[in-house]
Amino acid sequence: MSKSHMKKVGNVNQNVSNENQQNRSVLNIIQYFYQMQSISMLFILIIMWVVLSLLSPYFFTVNNLFEITLQSAVIALIAAGESFVIFSGGIDLSVGSIFAFSAIVGGIALQFTGSVIISLMASIGAGLFAGFCNGLAIIKLKIPPFVATLGMMGIARGLALILCNGIPIYGLPQEYLWIGQGRIAGIVPVPTIIVIVLFTIMYFILRNTRFGRFTYAIGSNPEATRLSGVNVSSVTLGIFMICGMFAAIAAVIESARLGTMQPASGNGYELLAIGSVFIGGASIYGGEGNIFASLIGALLVTTIRNGLNILGVSAFYQYVVNGLIIIFAVAADQIRRKY
Amino acid sequence: MENINKSFFGVKVLKDVQFRLNEGEVHVVLGENGAGKSTLIKILSGAYTLDSGKVFIEGKEIDMTSYSPETASRLGIATIYQNFHLVPHLTVAENISLSDFPVKRRKIDWRAVQKKAKDVLDNIHCTIDPNTLVKKLSISQQQMLEIAIALSKSAKIIIMDEPTAALSKKEIETLFELIADIKKRKVGIIYISHKLEEIKAIGDSITVLRDGRNVGTIVAKDIDLNEIVNLMIGKEMKAFEKEKLHIISKPIIEFKSLCRKGYFENISFHVSKGEVVGLTGLVGAGKTELARAIFGIDRLDMGQYFFNNREVKIRNPKEAIQYGIGYLPEDRDMSGLCLNMPVKDNITLVYLAKLSKKIFGIPTEKVLAQKYIDQLKIKTTGLYQQVKYLSGGNKQKVIFAKWLAAHCQFLVLDEPTIGIDVGAREEIYNLIFDFVRSEGRAVLFISSDISEILSVSDRILIMSQGKLIADLDPGATTKQEVMALCLNPT
Repeated sequence: MSKSHMKKVGNVNQNVSNENQQNRSVLNIIQYFYQMQSISMLFILIIMWVVLSLLSPYFFTVNNLFEITLQSAVIALIAAGESFVIFSGGIDLSVGSIFAFSAIVGGIALQFTGSVIISLMASIGAGLFAGFCNGLAIIKLKIPPFVATLGMMGIARGLALILCNGIPIYGLPQEYLWIGQGRIAGIVPVPTIIVIVLFTIMYFILRNTRFGRFTYAIGSNPEATRLSGVNVSSVTLGIFMICGMFAAIAAVIESARLGTMQPASGNGYELLAIGSVFIGGASIYGGEGNIFASLIGALLVTTIRNGLNILGVSAFYQYVVNGLIIIFAVAADQIRRKY
Repeated sequence: MENINKSFFGVKVLKDVQFRLNEGEVHVVLGENGAGKSTLIKILSGAYTLDSGKVFIEGKEIDMTSYSPETASRLGIATIYQNFHLVPHLTVAENISLSDFPVKRRKIDWRAVQKKAKDVLDNIHCTIDPNTLVKKLSISQQQMLEIAIALSKSAKIIIMDEPTAALSKKEIETLFELIADIKKRKVGIIYISHKLEEIKAIGDSITVLRDGRNVGTIVAKDIDLNEIVNLMIGKEMKAFEKEKLHIISKPIIEFKSLCRKGYFENISFHVSKGEVVGLTGLVGAGKTELARAIFGIDRLDMGQYFFNNREVKIRNPKEAIQYGIGYLPEDRDMSGLCLNMPVKDNITLVYLAKLSKKIFGIPTEKVLAQKYIDQLKIKTTGLYQQVKYLSGGNKQKVIFAKWLAAHCQFLVLDEPTIGIDVGAREEIYNLIFDFVRSEGRAVLFISSDISEILSVSDRILIMSQGKLIADLDPGATTKQEVMALCLNPT
């Protein structure tokens, strides 16, 4: 190889590195905004609150604001579980049905034993079990998450209706109702506390445990993760069980708040939960996302719903809005990916 | 084609290449990996545009500025790639008519489709039933079909890229008969192959490319192996010299009669502590398949592993990692890295996966990752930069760091310098030498770049058609000899 040729190669390298540096500074800015996604969502949330309180005198009342945190508690908890699934590159469509299924299982356990503790355990057990089945179908039968959970969506809904014969369960004891309606120190609703505690724990798990790291890694590149010696199957199983468990916790809170367990409850909640996670800036391809951003997403989704209610918009339109939210949130992700 | 120039990212891949194809001729293009064969073909088929140069077809100059795959097919240039462009779920007849279905009263005229299929297949004396689904055809039949379709579009130039790679002896004979038949119709064929017997059997002339230059066009009839090998390799000095260590230590790992049907068979060799064993062979010789099996990704049909003289079973990558085996895959981005995750997370992934008991363990990882970023001089803006923004060489270093962090003892490197520029290559070589120098570790270095293999390895293994055919001392062999063995195993 001649000297002049070597020189050429050297120059080329320099050019490339210059270009990289330029790219890097642009990328840094984009990354900066990208990390700000959750913060910009927080801004949108605040603006929305301001606009809604100008539009309606009922919006910015203490009662209504607590209503929003209560309503969003349910969606936020489902979104917490859904976050794990989406960060790992999957999707869980069955959360709305698992929600109803675990509520009804808990209700039946309550009717038979009269024990709140057993009822709660039964609900959460049912959620874990449904998630376990999802995971098993994905890792053993090699079904894509979309299809496996679509199947579970039907199965869990059907089981909920079969178990209670289609009749809602009423007559929950006072201790059970406290989970949804109680106030700590007379001000802060219990569900809000549950949300804050659980989100903090999950944030910690995602950031500081091997399980959390593997969740992102699988979402980023399942093949590379497997070749790095991670047991991808068992992590996937765990992810879907967590998702099922959170659907069950959300179901308990809603049952306690409304004082009843409905086999038709949770219908369409998967849409809201998935929308919340995407609004929070998670990538549809997995590997990225922050669970607190999903919480902000859930608050935003609930505020929109609540605002539409207060403004007297028919419930029928709300489905349209929910659908649009998901489409725009994912479109935002695709645009971000381009630059 | 005259004075063809092409460069990628500032690196010249083709330098003033002249190439002339006569009608009714089979013109073989030969060259080492990276010599520019596929670039040349891709320019002709319209997949790449050229930087400068002229192309004439039947004496007329072609406007290359607006040249595209569509123009190529309009001019009668058809390419038969190794992976086929057929729709597997449609029938043979449907595939033949796919680009323009005969239409009658705004509906597909199925009778005309059948007739066309029959004509096209008869044209090459092919007896495939036009109503079978393409996915049920054998590879050679699919190839025939592709050729038939190319001819039906009145192709004047057919490009075949290693067409016999997946064919049996008998199928190759049928293909050659077909080629001989096509030649009579004044169709020119550009034929890329490494197999010397084939070139002798059907080639009319041979063009050898080396480092993007045409180093000679010769008549195929009177070729001799040494002449070709000399043309392909040229006279070049060794670019990189390694201090040779003479290893007399114990084997770290030993393989006995490894076999995976259809990929490789009866592979036995050992790697000693402190040794870099080079493994080379042509594309399709089974190198990557062997590496994947050693690491437990693909299942073996037969064979035993001995790790530090103890027999072990390796059924999946997790088990391989527990024994201290690491693997740098050929496709870094696809199976080596989590691209949208930070450098830190990629470096510590194997380490974390290996800590089977601890749930936490992340607190120490920053120190660990920083240590390897410093040690391997990984150019990054910090621990949290996403890996996808790194250059090829730095990405490879991240994968290296990943295995170092997990205290790997035996590394299988599959084409570790592919797509990496000269300067970074040397850094990778030095990493390999540093790796084997300490604590009796060892490396299996897989590469199809023979000069690289010669300068890096302590011992050279050569694979051909799924078999291990030679075990050479790099001090006592030449590039010519290795190349000749790869090309012509007998």
